[in-house]
Amino acid sequence: MIVLDKVSKFFGEKKALDDVSFKVKEGEIIGFVGPNGAGKTTTMRVIVGYLKPTAGEVTIDEKNPIDDRIDVLKQIGYLAENNPLYLEMKVSEYLNFITSIKDDRENLHSLKKQTGIEEIWQSKIEELSRGYKQRVGLAAALIGDPKILILDEPTSGLDPIEQEKIRNLIKTLGKKKTIILSTHILPEVEDVATRVIIIDKGKIVYDGAKPKRRGEVERLFKRLIK
Amino acid sequence: MVNLFKKELSYYFNNPIGYIIAILFAVFANFLFIKDLFLRGDSSMRPFFDILPWLFLIFISALTMRIFAEERRVNTIEVLLTLPISETTIVVAKLFALLIFSGFILLLSLSIPLTLMAIGKPHLLEIIMAYGGVFLLSASFISVSIFFSSLAKNQIVAFLCSVLTIFLLMVVGGDFLAFFIPRFIQENLNFFSPLYHYSNFLKGLVDLRSVVYFISFTMLFVFLTVINLEKRE
Repeated sequence: MIVLDKVSKFFGEKKALDDVSFKVKEGEIIGFVGPNGAGKTTTMRVIVGYLKPTAGEVTIDEKNPIDDRIDVLKQIGYLAENNPLYLEMKVSEYLNFITSIKDDRENLHSLKKQTGIEEIWQSKIEELSRGYKQRVGLAAALIGDPKILILDEPTSGLDPIEQEKIRNLIKTLGKKKTIILSTHILPEVEDVATRVIIIDKGKIVYDGAKPKRRGEVERLFKRLIK
Repeated sequence: MVNLFKKELSYYFNNPIGYIIAILFAVFANFLFIKDLFLRGDSSMRPFFDILPWLFLIFISALTMRIFAEERRVNTIEVLLTLPISETTIVVAKLFALLIFSGFILLLSLSIPLTLMAIGKPHLLEIIMAYGGVFLLSASFISVSIFFSSLAKNQIVAFLCSVLTIFLLMVVGGDFLAFFIPRFIQENLNFFSPLYHYSNFLKGLVDLRSVVYFISFTMLFVFLTVINLEKRE
């Protein structure tokens, strides 16, 4: 279980997260939504231990991502915002590098198929389209067969067809994994998530089950975000 | 660690920047030595080893400036720091990769001892000891540059901070300081200068204190870099 307990994060004087608390149970798919600058990425970074909270605590299966970072990170697959990749490497080199660090050779072949990157396996990452880059980032996150997937804007900047493909992949993955999906694309949340958390100005303003009616998330979002 | 080491090393061998730095070093080092070779009239490599720290001051800083600064700029640092490997492993792997590439650059200076062997009788043991000193010196310079690269997002800032710090450390025990401070202080400060310890190797000596100095110096800056990465600010 992922637990955020009264987490705050300051960047100098600026408060990026303000007393954020929520729990994510195994098997949930969380749609983590909010406007730009609301604190979505900071929350994701605090969960994976890339940022240290100024106050409060994060635990993943009762382990702290800062103090027990190697143990915690073995359980997490993380796709960071804007999908940073080593562009000078080939797809094969990059994913073999991640594989060697996560010590998981067995799943690589099936991952190539699952993420649809077989045809670009020997291509240089810098030459790939945005959609393929996103698939490479997703494949990297899936190496090691992590229990938890943290995806920060996985479909941002993609065309509708690519968005649909990535979304379907996330839905398939969600059958076996706990997923936190940070996004500002509201239909995506309606399509994929089982629970919705809305954040604004560093505070959680809504945390509950996904509304059943189509378009309800958007209405809720517009009502809560001023 | 081996995988990260290989990745870092392959960056330098598969990228023009590594070769440009290596070729520039080879041109400068060989030219500065050869230009006065026949005027000097002996087969000692001492003049080469005397200018080497000053060349390394620039070339090592240039080679290392990107090691973390570039990762910060393009945010691959987020990928690296969210993989299940320790910060110490990351820093040590990068240090070793740079050390090996510096060793490759140094290989390009082997033309000098080979030329000297063809035209005279250089003292081979002295040359081997001096190369050992260069290796330790480069490890210490790399560790300083890695530290500044981990602090800065801009490579040029990392380069300038690294050059300035190494320069100050090099001149800290210099004789010219005796004009401004008491002699005994200057002599004690001398101990902190990498040049002082490096000069022991040039005499063909392996002074254990100098070996310990270089290893401690390198470890100190590796430690500072790890602390900086662990801050997670």
